[in-house]
Amino acid sequence: MSGFHIENLSVLRGTTKVVDDVSLELGAGELVGLIGPNGAGKTTLMRAALGLLPHSGQSSLNRLSPQERAKTAAWMPQAREIAWPVSVETLVMLGRVPHLGAGQRPSETDHAAVGAAIKAMDLQGFETRSATELSGGEQARVLIARVLAQDTSVLFADEPVAGLDPGHQIATMETFAKSAISGKSVLVSLHDLGLAARHCHRLVLMDKGRILADGAPKAVLTAENLHKVFGITAYLSETKDGLIFLPLEVAK
Amino acid sequence: MRGLLAFLTLLVALLFAVSLLIGPAGFGIGESLSALFGNGGEAITLVMQEIRLPRALLAVMIGISLGLSGAALQGFLRNPLAEPGLIGVSSSAALGAVLALQTGLAAAFALALPLAALSGAGLAVLLLLLLAGPRGGSLTLILAGIAISALAGALTALVLNLSPNPFAVSEIVFWMMGSLADRSFTHVWLALPFMMLGWALIMTQGRGLDALTLGEDAAGSLGIKLGQMRLILVAGVAASVGAATAVAGAIGFVGLVVPHILRPFVGARPSALLPASALGGAVLVLLADIAVRVAVPDRDLKLGVLMAIVGAPLFLHLIYKTRRSMG
Repeated sequence: MSGFHIENLSVLRGTTKVVDDVSLELGAGELVGLIGPNGAGKTTLMRAALGLLPHSGQSSLNRLSPQERAKTAAWMPQAREIAWPVSVETLVMLGRVPHLGAGQRPSETDHAAVGAAIKAMDLQGFETRSATELSGGEQARVLIARVLAQDTSVLFADEPVAGLDPGHQIATMETFAKSAISGKSVLVSLHDLGLAARHCHRLVLMDKGRILADGAPKAVLTAENLHKVFGITAYLSETKDGLIFLPLEVAK
Repeated sequence: MRGLLAFLTLLVALLFAVSLLIGPAGFGIGESLSALFGNGGEAITLVMQEIRLPRALLAVMIGISLGLSGAALQGFLRNPLAEPGLIGVSSSAALGAVLALQTGLAAAFALALPLAALSGAGLAVLLLLLLAGPRGGSLTLILAGIAISALAGALTALVLNLSPNPFAVSEIVFWMMGSLADRSFTHVWLALPFMMLGWALIMTQGRGLDALTLGEDAAGSLGIKLGQMRLILVAGVAASVGAATAVAGAIGFVGLVVPHILRPFVGARPSALLPASALGGAVLVLLADIAVRVAVPDRDLKLGVLMAIVGAPLFLHLIYKTRRSMG
């Protein structure tokens, strides 16, 4: 099985529906950007699809047992938590937890996956450093490496590039794009619409718990949608360097 | 890592032997050791086999329970200030023991006091899980634990307050200070099954504790069942620490200080800290129990009191060091 789908997913917080009857399907090889203003329900949607929140409706991931799901879908939460000063390598190795049997030590495959993830996130030389002593952006890259090391066919990341320098923002999006090319389904929530427009194959626009638009970046980032959902005007143009998006001002 | 465990095991064995050789009777080393295996005078054999051996064994068992539980709770709550008493098990076990002493039940039969303490610990766990809810979060667990500790502490104070008998009060106060003096094999056999069950439960959770380094959400997505993990850890801590409190009273600081000291030596990995902290706890309790007998041999200095006197400054020093390394 590759890709995933959710059908009529709803999540209640108190009496308000924070995710309201959402259906979404991701095929293999897709890099999809989940966009929308604060409180649109992006994080809640991803957590519910992974079975981390009580919800109604269907999710193909949630039908699996927790162990099977962990081998199918990886999740990078927005909160970048590293509780203990473990080494970078130890932290990235945590991505291999679902692949290890009870009491089993990491095998060659596990070490190879960790090595590849560390290389993909440009972290060579950091392996033995204590993860809590790194800068915020470096920690974010270590946590993305952990998600890559999990080596799943579906990848969810919540605001993975927030706080990264421009070089590493682009590199991270390119890493996700490469994962998609290799046949994975990647769903990334983003606030940087410029990055979303440039790197994602498809954008899903959420507002007030519902999906408002779903399609190619150009079809989603219309003046009307931007005004209605974000309350902004923007410059969008197809150039020889690809799609360029720049927010201009708050709409009057 | 393996070197550290071997070193700690050696230290436990050494201190265990020293603990066996120390006491007011003042036997020689060879004499004591041969008496331990039943080759000696009746009196010395009795002292070695029925007084010193159970005392040293209890020190090891209680040390393992406190060190292991402390490491497990710190890992689960992702907080270096967590300790076994945090979930209210020790204070509830103490309340059970206090009630047994106050009502005179403790004098009725030998195991009345530890059994009452174990019942207290068991009730506390049920109440804790009821209060903390089904979803395995750590914050509700801490809050519920603090509430139960406060309640058990208040009820203990009430019992002392209303006690008509000053002898019972002084007995209770001294019991609560925590000690390994005058314990017998009855205590060992009562505590051991609960402790071993608790150790086994906690040791299964190493990988889950490692995954929790990334937070509850990420651990959940890595296939860790947080609700089940919390249930197992709480049961394990309650069984081992409840049994420790039942036979020795409240002994603080071991579960707090030992994981803190050993964490840097295991690369801060919560799963690696479990066995190291268990052995470290045994070292510390053996050391303290030797110290109370050597420091003031003619007065009954309580183990729990010494531990707090030594533990608090040690902990202050650790905080100072941590503060400096954090800048």
